[in-house]
Amino acid sequence: MAEVHIDKTVDTRGSYCPGPLMELIKTVKAASVGQVIEVLSSDQGSAKDIPEWVKKVGHELVLNEKAQDGDYWKIAVKKVK
Amino acid sequence: MSNAPKLSIVLMSPDMEKLHAGALMGSVAAASGMEVNFFVTMEALRMFLKETVEKQDFKVSGVGEKLLEKKVDLFYKMLEDAKDLGNLKVYACSLVVDVMGWEKEDMLDLIDDIIGVTAFFGIAEGSQIMVI
Repeated sequence: MAEVHIDKTVDTRGSYCPGPLMELIKTVKAASVGQVIEVLSSDQGSAKDIPEWVKKVGHELVLNEKAQDGDYWKIAVKKVK
Repeated sequence: MSNAPKLSIVLMSPDMEKLHAGALMGSVAAASGMEVNFFVTMEALRMFLKETVEKQDFKVSGVGEKLLEKKVDLFYKMLEDAKDLGNLKVYACSLVVDVMGWEKEDMLDLIDDIIGVTAFFGIAEGSQIMVI
């Protein structure tokens, strides 16, 4: 996978559903259009929930993968509007 | 916002797990762009008293105990946070407030208003209503 440029990372590891999603929404709201926000989450639901939210509100999912070195997910979203 | 999809949730039970589930669904819905209105009635409203929250005097069983133990954000915190992220309102049932002799000041600041069922039906018009 091509290198993804990340403007901001939100580390929500240890936080339970829907904490990671809510933190992401908060950060995306405050970001500028075009910025890419990455969320680190140890919550299993995030990898399914966050893409669903992204689709619903019309942003762009640029990354959704399990970290190689640990039991957490890296999910990145580009704010498009 | 008037064209946004709407969701209405009636919180009736004081059980921590039910309050948590309702607040969770409502806050995610609001953060995803839905208009969300809560109507808190019967014993659920007691859980929104400042006194109850200060004393953490909740009705918990299995999952609720874990929520407390793991210091997960509880229903009132989720609702407070969701108000910053979307259109979410919480109404207290006027019948319960009157019968119990409570005042608006006795309840958490996240309570927007005290209203009756007729007013709530007006607010909830066109939406699905979940009763928990």
